[in-house]
Amino acid sequence: MTRLPDAMLIDALAADTRPVRPLAPPLKRAAATLAAVALVGAAAVLAAANLREFRSLHAGREVLLALEMAAALATGVLAITAAFFASVPGRSRRCSLAPLPFLAAWLLLSGVGCYRELVAGGAGTGSFSGHPEGNSQHCVLFILGVSALLAPPIIWRLGRAAPLEPLSVALLGGLGIAALSAFLLQFFHPFTVTFLDLGMHLIAVLLVIGVAGVLNRRTLVGSQKAPK
Amino acid sequence: MLSGYIAARLEVGLAKHGNPPPDLKAADGGDWGALLAAAQAGDADAYRRFLSAALPFIRALARRRCGSEEEAEDVVQDVLLTVHRIRHTYEPGRPVKPWLTAITVRRAIDATRKRSRIRTRETFDEHAYETFADPQANREVGSDAPRVLAGMTADLSRGQKEAIDLVKVQEMSLAEASAVSGQTIASLKVNIHRAIKKMRLNLSRKPSE
Repeated sequence: MTRLPDAMLIDALAADTRPVRPLAPPLKRAAATLAAVALVGAAAVLAAANLREFRSLHAGREVLLALEMAAALATGVLAITAAFFASVPGRSRRCSLAPLPFLAAWLLLSGVGCYRELVAGGAGTGSFSGHPEGNSQHCVLFILGVSALLAPPIIWRLGRAAPLEPLSVALLGGLGIAALSAFLLQFFHPFTVTFLDLGMHLIAVLLVIGVAGVLNRRTLVGSQKAPK
Repeated sequence: MLSGYIAARLEVGLAKHGNPPPDLKAADGGDWGALLAAAQAGDADAYRRFLSAALPFIRALARRRCGSEEEAEDVVQDVLLTVHRIRHTYEPGRPVKPWLTAITVRRAIDATRKRSRIRTRETFDEHAYETFADPQANREVGSDAPRVLAGMTADLSRGQKEAIDLVKVQEMSLAEASAVSGQTIASLKVNIHRAIKKMRLNLSRKPSE
């Protein structure tokens, strides 16, 4: 590589400088993004979900469901917040670990819920609440579809920081988007979750994280613009 | 966290060895923060002062991270260009050093990865560029090359020739080429794009055309 003297390079960079608007703190940017997602999600649930059926379907297991959904929501919120922190150089990387306990709790509570359903419904029946097996594919499509809708604005917001380590930002963002999609899925789920169903949910979540990881550089670095 | 730790370790290490770079010892993050904030507002002089003051800090960090002096100097310039590109990510009021350290460490890691990738995948062969083993056989091709190149670049403007020479032949970065030629980065990009388009067109033309 041909190198200029440092002084000449500094002069060239100084000559090229123009006003740029500093990015807002990551917490503020994450909060604004999540507020927008919350508004759209709440509107979709109120408009399209059958909340009466949702309540009756989960009667008797409200506490477990609330904990499970809270864990999924916390995973999503913390993962997206951590992605905003990770996208800015020099910010604490400890928050990247914040979603992990909630992810573990989400998986554990989901597993407990499935086990209780299995015990209550009887092993080997193959279906619960009158719904045949095979509906899990709709769950996968739901998670992938909602993730595809949530991803572009979130990726665009994350890309504004032009992250130096796009892979970790993409993985955290992917986890957050998938967890929020899985949270929303609960309102539209036509039957209580089975182990098979839970496995399909996990596959969908991993797919979203995998796609985000594979496309990290192209999506995050490619979505940035030169500062103005 | 990690970058703050590295910055702290660097300062401790320099203090222990008794030879700190003067600006690292003298300038504190607060002054740098004010200069960088002014640079974000478009103050070119503050930006120049900030980059000059931060240079020893960046160099000291790069030297600790890189395998050779040459590589460290490449990293230093890469860091300067990266700082320029992402200066909007600095949050005024926060310490500058963790921000600068994170950029330098990342660029040093990138350089190390690039070096090991080149070592494992590329082999230097001085004969690889020859088309035939017999030196005489290469002479005809060699003598034809300037004519072909002259034909391709015949109708390029002076600015286009200069942009191609600096960026594509001498492999300068756009900022470096801009400093040498006096062309703005935007006009360099435009000139390169137009030059390549013209050269491609000229190459595809038959000699009789």
